[in-house]
Amino acid sequence: MTAPPDDCLARNEWICGAYLSTRRRILLDAVVQHLQLTVLSVLIGLAVALPLAVLARRWGWTAGPVLAVTTVLYTIPSLAMFSLLLPLYGLSATLVVAGLVLYSLTLLVRNILAGLRAVPEDTRQAARGLGYGPVRLLLTVELPLALPAAMAGLRIATVSAVSLVTVGAIVGFGGLGNLIYAGMNTYFKAQVLTASVLCVLIAVAADLLLLGVQWLITPWTRAGRTRMPSGRGRPRGSRARDVSTTEAGGA
Amino acid sequence: MRRALTAVMLLTLTACGTGPSLENRGQVTATPGDSHHLTIGSAGFTESDLLAQLYAQLLNQAGYRTSLLTVNNRELYEPALESGQIDVVPEYAATFADWLNAKTHGADAKPVGSPDLGETMTALRRLAAPRGLTVLPPGRAVDQNAFAVRADYARRHGLRTLGDLGASKLKVRLAAGDECVQRPYCEPGLKKVYGIDVTGVDPKGVGTAQAKRAVQEGRDQLVLTTTTDATLDSFGLVLLADDRHLQNADYVVPVVNRSRAGSAGVAKALGRLNDVLTTRDLADMNQQVDSWRRLPADVARAFLKDKGLLK
Repeated sequence: MTAPPDDCLARNEWICGAYLSTRRRILLDAVVQHLQLTVLSVLIGLAVALPLAVLARRWGWTAGPVLAVTTVLYTIPSLAMFSLLLPLYGLSATLVVAGLVLYSLTLLVRNILAGLRAVPEDTRQAARGLGYGPVRLLLTVELPLALPAAMAGLRIATVSAVSLVTVGAIVGFGGLGNLIYAGMNTYFKAQVLTASVLCVLIAVAADLLLLGVQWLITPWTRAGRTRMPSGRGRPRGSRARDVSTTEAGGA
Repeated sequence: MRRALTAVMLLTLTACGTGPSLENRGQVTATPGDSHHLTIGSAGFTESDLLAQLYAQLLNQAGYRTSLLTVNNRELYEPALESGQIDVVPEYAATFADWLNAKTHGADAKPVGSPDLGETMTALRRLAAPRGLTVLPPGRAVDQNAFAVRADYARRHGLRTLGDLGASKLKVRLAAGDECVQRPYCEPGLKKVYGIDVTGVDPKGVGTAQAKRAVQEGRDQLVLTTTTDATLDSFGLVLLADDRHLQNADYVVPVVNRSRAGSAGVAKALGRLNDVLTTRDLADMNQQVDSWRRLPADVARAFLKDKGLLK
């Protein structure tokens, strides 16, 4: 047998340039898969959690069962979750997304519901007095006021999804998790460290991104106000909200 | 009412994606198929990755498009192979025969794998065919399970074989896969055939670095690995001989889903490996990936080119 090559890969160093250059394509593919799985599962989770939270707010008696079921789902170990969903989805990315959606529900539903519940009753009354129907009340008053709490939930759900995606490695769809698990089996330091660092970077970037989005879509929270005095007046588009709010406040 | 709502909710949640059910097994009676896009399964350990790469590159050369999927447990990938989500998997004849036997006839069924390759292949094909799986001919490479202990431990207690270990009455903790407690060639066989006092199985995986380190550091005494493991030296471990033939002839065989990859084209492409690939080659390639950390794809390509199987 030929002598082993003398490079940082063979020496199994934690930080290894040769690892990055030989695995560039693999790392890129893993990051893309990681992002796809995370984004897809959080978006679907949001689409499922929002109606559930509204339902739980509208009919109070449903809140208990909704929260109980989503919390029970959250406590299922990931290995068991994927095994339970396997007959439904087979070995596919869908399987991982479905599992992550179920995990995200408890965080999203709880936070959106907390946001909706925190809408002051007098604000709702005022909107109703101005002739707002239930749908308009929900869309233009309650949901915007629930945004800060909902966004907090979304940020936690997203960061936790980034880390949970790695578990998908047991069915071959784990993004960077595939590399982490393979690296752990052969004690491949550079691979484990690089993939883990990328995972953390994705989580931090996603969190900052959502923080930025929240900053952009909740301008009233920056105006030194704790409550959006929406529903005090005229119909308006969201873009004009801040301006007209100021007018209404000054009137 | 609440229960009904919960049920409806669960149904809604779980129905938000569609995928083929594993219950819809590949049509057993269908004629051998020749799909042009084949998914090669790897069981997630180095040698399986390498074999999957060898298969994929040979199939690519034969004009097939291939993709690779890594699934760590046979309990997960075998049903996928039956349903056609995976089309080709590198397997080990006796281990796979016994696994299928246990799946078909229950965990207590009499083992069908044996040290005799002919008998093992006959049994394997009989079990695989009704599931829509075709077992292609075996080559020369054989990867048997093997047990290793620390070199100084072996010296101190005068151990050369597993029989010596049984006679020594030493208590050993075994680092292996969590399935070891059920497999007849693992914990049950060590106890029954060799009389080894296995106090417990430490589920660290088969031949993983963690498993070998556990023995190196003295937390476990015995580790389950394979005859193609080229890293034992670097962990200060030595193999104990299987003097009572507990381990069967685990020849490398490609197993394919017949309705998708049962064609002569696939058999011919993969068959080219049979005369060439030896146990020693596998150990060498394992070392290049495990110790030198080359990419399995590159190692497989270099090997095939070296042997003239790849242009």
